[in-house]
Amino acid sequence: MNLVDSFGLGLLQAAVLLALAPLLRGTIKKLKAAFQNRQGPPLLQGYYDLAKLLGKEPVRSDVSSWVFVAGPRVYFATAVAATTLVPVIVAGAPLEEAGGILVLVGLLALGRFFLAAAALDTGSPFGGMGSSREMAVSALAEPALMLGLFTVALWGGSLNLGDLVRTTAARGLSAHPSDLLAAAALFIVLIAEAGRVPVDNPATHLELTMIHEAMVLEYSGADLALVEWASALKELLFMTVLVNLFLPLGLATGVGAAALAIATGLYLAKLFLLSVGVTLVEVTNAKLRLFRVPELMSASLGLAFLALALRFL
Amino acid sequence: MSQDLVVLCAAGMLVTAYLMVGQKALFTAIRLYAIQSVLLGGVALVMGLAGHNAHLLASAALTIGLKGLLIPWFLMRVIDRIGIRREIEPFLNVPSSLLICLGLTVVGYRVSTRLADGAQGAAHHVIGVSLSMLLMGLFLMVTRRKAVTQILALLTVENSVFLVALGATSGMPLIVELGISFDVIVAVLVLGVLVHRIVDRFDSMDVSRLSKLKG
Repeated sequence: MNLVDSFGLGLLQAAVLLALAPLLRGTIKKLKAAFQNRQGPPLLQGYYDLAKLLGKEPVRSDVSSWVFVAGPRVYFATAVAATTLVPVIVAGAPLEEAGGILVLVGLLALGRFFLAAAALDTGSPFGGMGSSREMAVSALAEPALMLGLFTVALWGGSLNLGDLVRTTAARGLSAHPSDLLAAAALFIVLIAEAGRVPVDNPATHLELTMIHEAMVLEYSGADLALVEWASALKELLFMTVLVNLFLPLGLATGVGAAALAIATGLYLAKLFLLSVGVTLVEVTNAKLRLFRVPELMSASLGLAFLALALRFL
Repeated sequence: MSQDLVVLCAAGMLVTAYLMVGQKALFTAIRLYAIQSVLLGGVALVMGLAGHNAHLLASAALTIGLKGLLIPWFLMRVIDRIGIRREIEPFLNVPSSLLICLGLTVVGYRVSTRLADGAQGAAHHVIGVSLSMLLMGLFLMVTRRKAVTQILALLTVENSVFLVALGATSGMPLIVELGISFDVIVAVLVLGVLVHRIVDRFDSMDVSRLSKLKG
């Protein structure tokens, strides 16, 4: 594949995932509402919200600097760039030559850093509190993410997500305990990174319990739309990595129309199953006290470490 | 395929045991135990189906029904009735407990690779997981204060013994399993009554208070 094609495919994949991301959030909201005997917002509410926010002029504080403006843009750009490194329905990523696991984690960390810095920029106490909390959580989530991905990389013999998915797809469903342990660890990381209930509450209105929401409290209009959209994309990205690394059934290896259709259907079904899992965790657990979050994250880190250790035993 | 499913279920049991160490809500611990028992039943079910072994199927049904549903329900009822704080207060904090359990798992696995018969493939993983769970159950028993959590630790140990029996042999005779299941139920019932008595006496489930003289 030549460079122009790869870039084209990367753009296409990013666009499709961007279009899909608000629907994923809507689905989880709807599922959660169904579990709680509520009707819940319409499935497409995420798109309405984004359209509304994008049409509004962002209000920025007089005392803020360029960092405040750059924050959401860098966050959005890194999330979009990260999507091009991840295999979605074909066993291979469009820009997989550009980098693997390390680049993926690095890009996400860069976006998070910029958003946290931007939240500090206005000098609002809630922004500062939010970024300090976000950093505290991610300092524990990131090593767990790295170790979990390294466990898969160790088996596949490559740090490249495209290569890894090709080897796992060729081998089929894995039967090594370390894969299940790594998947459990990454599931906890997914919950932390997506700001889901035991760690953070995406629907909270109480500033004192906010983590992610506190960081973006100062944003409005199109800036807020970028942050929300990128967060939804990041959640979709994590779920995609999780389902494709640990359940690589049905990934298309060719480019036939039938194979692609089956792969798309299976991918959506796997995403839906994972969403049900996330929703079940959300409805059966109460939000943890902030000082309990490190305990959950250390469980995730421990599971990931154990997964890596079991490969050598 | 059936070997893969067995290993997957066993690994799931290890994850639940590990999460049991890693969190503090009492009800979640009981739910994790229920999941663990259902997975154990899954191991027996898969082995029974693959080996056309009727008494394994019976013991799978027994495991899922008794340990997956009845015992968790009973424990939750005990907790509801005595109305204690629904939080586990361990002697050790969570991160260090997790670290110790990590070490215990490595020990369990290491021992299973050195077994005389050189357990291979699925049996290796199943025995490794069950030895690790056995050690983790013992660890839970000595570091947890509350009587109910000690019952859970005992039940985890029992699950791991059952798993090692499944992994090493292909299941015990049905009569032995019936006996063990019956024992477990009686043990849980007696312990439930004991918990009631402890709470009556001390207004707490903290077993460390049992060692103090009361005048």
